[in-house]
Amino acid sequence: MAMNGMQGYRPGLVDLATGRVSREIFVNDDIYAQEQERVFARAWLFVGHESQIPNPGDYFVSRMGEESVILCRDRAGGVHVFLNSCRHRGMKVCRYDEGNTAVFTCPYHGWSFGTNGALVGVPYFREAYHAELDKAQWGLVEVAQLCSYKGTVWANWDPSAPPFLEYLGEFRRFLDLILDGWDGREGQAEVIGGVQKWLIPCNWKFPAENFSGDSYHNISHRSVDLVGVGPSGRSRRDYGELNVARKLHVAIPDRGHQTITYLLPRGHDPQPSYQNNPEVAEYFRHCEAERRKRPGPNARLIGAPGEIFPNVALLPRQPRTLAVWHPKSAHQTEVWRFFFVDRDAPQAVKNFLRDYYIRYSGPAGMTEQDDMENWNYAHAASRGVIARRHPYTYEMGLGHAVEDYEFEGYRVPGRVIDITQIQASEEPMRNLYGRWAQFMEAASWDELTTWRRNDKTALGREAVAAK
Amino acid sequence: MSDDRAARLLLTQEIAEFLYAEAELLDERRYDAWLALLADDIRYWMPMRRNVKFGDDSGREFTREATEIAWFDEGKETLTRRVRQIQTGIHWAEEPQSRIAHLVTNVQLLEATPAAAAATVTAKCRFLIYRNRVETETDLLVGKREDTLRRADDGWQITRRKVILDQNVLMSKNLTFFF
Amino acid sequence: MSDGPINIRDLAVGTRLVLGGGAEAEIVDNPRDGVWLFARYIAAPGDPALVGQEEMIFAQDVIEVRS
Repeated sequence: MAMNGMQGYRPGLVDLATGRVSREIFVNDDIYAQEQERVFARAWLFVGHESQIPNPGDYFVSRMGEESVILCRDRAGGVHVFLNSCRHRGMKVCRYDEGNTAVFTCPYHGWSFGTNGALVGVPYFREAYHAELDKAQWGLVEVAQLCSYKGTVWANWDPSAPPFLEYLGEFRRFLDLILDGWDGREGQAEVIGGVQKWLIPCNWKFPAENFSGDSYHNISHRSVDLVGVGPSGRSRRDYGELNVARKLHVAIPDRGHQTITYLLPRGHDPQPSYQNNPEVAEYFRHCEAERRKRPGPNARLIGAPGEIFPNVALLPRQPRTLAVWHPKSAHQTEVWRFFFVDRDAPQAVKNFLRDYYIRYSGPAGMTEQDDMENWNYAHAASRGVIARRHPYTYEMGLGHAVEDYEFEGYRVPGRVIDITQIQASEEPMRNLYGRWAQFMEAASWDELTTWRRNDKTALGREAVAAK
Repeated sequence: MSDDRAARLLLTQEIAEFLYAEAELLDERRYDAWLALLADDIRYWMPMRRNVKFGDDSGREFTREATEIAWFDEGKETLTRRVRQIQTGIHWAEEPQSRIAHLVTNVQLLEATPAAAAATVTAKCRFLIYRNRVETETDLLVGKREDTLRRADDGWQITRRKVILDQNVLMSKNLTFFF
Repeated sequence: MSDGPINIRDLAVGTRLVLGGGAEAEIVDNPRDGVWLFARYIAAPGDPALVGQEEMIFAQDVIEVRS
């Protein structure tokens, strides 16, 4: 492949020692093709949420990488993820977005599959096939591994990948900030009906890197900060307590997951928020007070943008959403944005949040619009042969991360840079691209479960013991 | 021609002219004049579209108003903030500003009684929005609109706009303009 | 006799069908995909063992709908 003389991924295209990353990894079609095999066919990918398929026969058509998949609850209540492609000639067996069905029937030759994936209907099975086709071999292709975690459904095509929770590692608490209730009860989130889906003209890694924790790009949102879109009509967000919290970049080494997070001082009292809507203000006051009473790591954490490798972005604090950056080509990405609320919240709270979510996020979101413009033209201006000779720099804060960050008795996992005063670092992006390069180089998952050798944490020891 | 029929024709023409004039304000970027056409209690709603089975009467083809996610679901305050954002001159998704043309056609009156002196009118139309920005970036958005207008002292005001875009996955990177 | 292909998509449960070879069956479930029906055999001159059994019936095998 034509890559301006660079060899391999490390240190050629992704040089962590100097913090330089080649533009080739964003714009090169050959690298993109390899990514589909090496990253998307091996990593855990987000597929949907169980609240989207509550009843037997319910399905939600999703994507994994470039491919269409069906998330479905079979008649016995089991959850499955299938490749949405007939085993006979490949036609999509479902072209609806969601619904309830007894079978998925291919419109081409009429093969029909049960909600458990089994091939149940073959036209002229006795006559044309002489009853010789072994139907058991020709069910829908099912993912190798599936994990339902607090309602979210994750899937993996690779049988040798580690279990999802091991893959997530110590990043789990940051995902919990979306999936647990605002009051800290486990797994209280539900998806609001309607998933935003839209096309953006850039490589999927532009948004992935941005959500990894780009606290440097706030200037690009100056216009929305000036006119105000936040829940109280000001700025972008309603974050009274952030003035006293530590703002951190957290990168989980070897996993490729990273985030911004806010860590509150010990014994901090909830601050008033959403004051211009008394019912909403009271709901959050109650929840924040409850949350602080609960044991566990999340009582003092406030979520902020983060990224689960490779293509799932989280925004646990309002707007509370998960986004998936589905690759379409090196130069185009299909974004799916799922919005969450506490399922027990009063309807007035859900409505208030929904209004805020959609004026903030998505293609009509007054914040996200400016991001997409930047990713669009950053990508476009990086495609030329001259542009590709010049790498991007990710050296901000290189060498300044610590592995034993602690604040008032709270030990934060991973490599941490305290950005409360310094505003920004590029530790999260270095973590993302370091992991990406590992995936691109590794021949098998054995080479990717580096923590089983390296981790000093309890989780690492457990994983080694389990092996 | 009956008086009522004549009144209805005149009203249809009057409403069509109002909608054309409104489109003109948007295309000429006269946003403050455009905002003045919006009633203070306007609801501006654009649901998302799902692929559903023929004959599905569950209403699932469109995301539900006021409870489900939409492309837009807002009132005048947020619409005003959108205008102010463009007017900052640093809203990068609209800076430099897009070149936009609204084509409004197929204007039909749905509700207007009595035609001669209706206080509110509901009209349906088709829209085609052409957006071209920076160098060659181009979007075409086609769909239906249902507008409710209220007669005010100095002309009509829009009290409700329902925008039905004929797309499933949105094929534009953003929606920085008005429908 | 029907004049041509039958659209089975919206046939109700309980509807009686005439199939090839003089067989008859009653719909027990309709997945409404327009391609398949679940039906119980009532008569099967060519294979009497089928009577009483439930099978998936392919749309092209439905010759007539009994009114």
